[in-house]
Amino acid sequence: MRFFRDESFRLATPRVNSRGVVGRSLILLGAVLALAGCETVPATPIVAHTGDPITDGNAERNVAKPQDRVLWDYRIAASALRAGNYDEAREKLDDAILRIGGIIANSDDAKKARGLFGSESGKTFIGEPYERVMAYYYRGLLYWRDGQPDNARACYRSGQLIDSDADDATHKADYVLLDYLDGLATAKLSGDGSASFDRAQGAAQGRKLPPYEADANVLVFAEFGHGPMKYGAGEYAEQLRFRVIDSRAHSAVLTIDGNATPLPPYDDVSFQAITRGGRVMDHILGNKAVFKSTSDTVGNAALAGSAIAANNLRRGDGSYSRGAENTALALGAIGLISKVASAATTPRADTRQWNNLPQRLSFAALKLPAGEHTGSLEFLDADGTPIAAQTRQVTINVEDPSRDTVVFLSELKR
Amino acid sequence: MKTSLRLGLLAGFGAATGFFAGCASQGVQNPSGVPVTEMKADERGFVAGTGVESQDLVAVTDKMARSILAIPEIAQATTAPRIALDPVVNDTRFPINKDIFNDRLRIELNKHALGKVRFLARDRMKTLEHERALKQTGQVTASADPNVTEFRGADYFLTGKLSGMTTKAAAGISDYVLYSFQLIDARTSEIVWEDSSEIKKQGLEDAAYR
Repeated sequence: MRFFRDESFRLATPRVNSRGVVGRSLILLGAVLALAGCETVPATPIVAHTGDPITDGNAERNVAKPQDRVLWDYRIAASALRAGNYDEAREKLDDAILRIGGIIANSDDAKKARGLFGSESGKTFIGEPYERVMAYYYRGLLYWRDGQPDNARACYRSGQLIDSDADDATHKADYVLLDYLDGLATAKLSGDGSASFDRAQGAAQGRKLPPYEADANVLVFAEFGHGPMKYGAGEYAEQLRFRVIDSRAHSAVLTIDGNATPLPPYDDVSFQAITRGGRVMDHILGNKAVFKSTSDTVGNAALAGSAIAANNLRRGDGSYSRGAENTALALGAIGLISKVASAATTPRADTRQWNNLPQRLSFAALKLPAGEHTGSLEFLDADGTPIAAQTRQVTINVEDPSRDTVVFLSELKR
Repeated sequence: MKTSLRLGLLAGFGAATGFFAGCASQGVQNPSGVPVTEMKADERGFVAGTGVESQDLVAVTDKMARSILAIPEIAQATTAPRIALDPVVNDTRFPINKDIFNDRLRIELNKHALGKVRFLARDRMKTLEHERALKQTGQVTASADPNVTEFRGADYFLTGKLSGMTTKAAAGISDYVLYSFQLIDARTSEIVWEDSSEIKKQGLEDAAYR
């Protein structure tokens, strides 16, 4: 380039002002930095939203990075379940489980996410354990609905295994419903579900679980409240944290054909999110944050030193100091490199999240004859007072009383 | 400082800063995609987990088919025994397509048995009964008296179970799956044949996911 050639020529000219040389050298470095950061990144197309979460979710998924595909699978599946679009939910959950069910090793994007200059959010998203557990929980519900309680049980077992990563032993594999439903499926398959029931009872924190009734043919899965929201804490948002807003609805009551069935909160997804403990990735992000901070400090010190040296290029007797020039140049370069390294380090925690999860999960098993059954669903606050605005009518249609009818009830609308 | 040294220093700084600054930009993984790779069903792919995979299905059903054909009840039967398939029971932590085990087992047996066994299409009974009703009401033609029950009863039931055991520790995850199959005499309830296959897998996820 002409600019470089001319600049080299000037540097080679012995009569040039040396203070100007230092200044121009640093300007040149700055220009290199600016240009080097100009690599274009393909922009994600903007999707025009229709207001329908399934349509919009699919549109977003179609233009999303491959690394974000599971994220959209999760969100669409939850919306589809609430809309009664079970085929859509099944398809998306199967796609997600295909990804999250395997072992991710030797992945280039995961390796980059661990590197100093790679962002954690660049890795393929599979979600934190509480998110993966919910994918299995929902898929299990659909397997049961399709007459495959053994595959449903497999999902509950996988979910509980995912939750076994918690730091604190008391929070390992502590979902009540996953064990309870594992045992119920086993009992319905003519097996002995008592061990699973006992584990569930142990995790229920004093709440007495209803015993299994093999002839209960209507399985009600209920959920209420909004789940946890991720955010990054710390100087560089490198610490993954969860914002939990306790939902107003603490429990529910389902009244069908005049008979009321309580739907207590057996599991709290927010509690599960905050009790996982530290991740290996948190340690990596912590190291990145330390590097970012240290290199920034080194950069500041070196640039300050460079400026001081540049101001002392002329000695008191008016002669030129080559040593001061070299020092200014070297410190300036070190400072700039350190600042760039600091700026390029990305310790920010990955806060992509399944943003339409519920907070509380409940379950009940009923025995109903064939036919249509009507009633209501009331959500109750912490004091057990019905939240009138949330009460809704419910219709349960039992087509074949010899097989299980699965009913999914959510306080969330999308 | 000599001019050549200055130039070298500048060039080096330029390259280093360019390198560092470039690292801050987001990259695009596999911008050209990964071409579709055709693989054998009994081959381990590059997308793998510790669960039930196609290579396991092929290995297990191959072994079971060979084993069944060797038993006297099949090998020495004077008339081909009728076998009905009962879906396998999944007692592992992996949700699976259960029909695929019986399907491949049936296909392998039919391929190698050379008429020594016959399978009953019990999963098609609704369609078959509908067709028979059409024949009985004269809506379609019949090559035999449709009022005579010709649906065959099963001599044997072939079924199976997948059982699993999982270990998870800091060193990784390990999954053991036992695939057991049985041939049950429909008249006596005797188990006339049983065989199993077992597969254990283990792995550790990238630290970015731990």
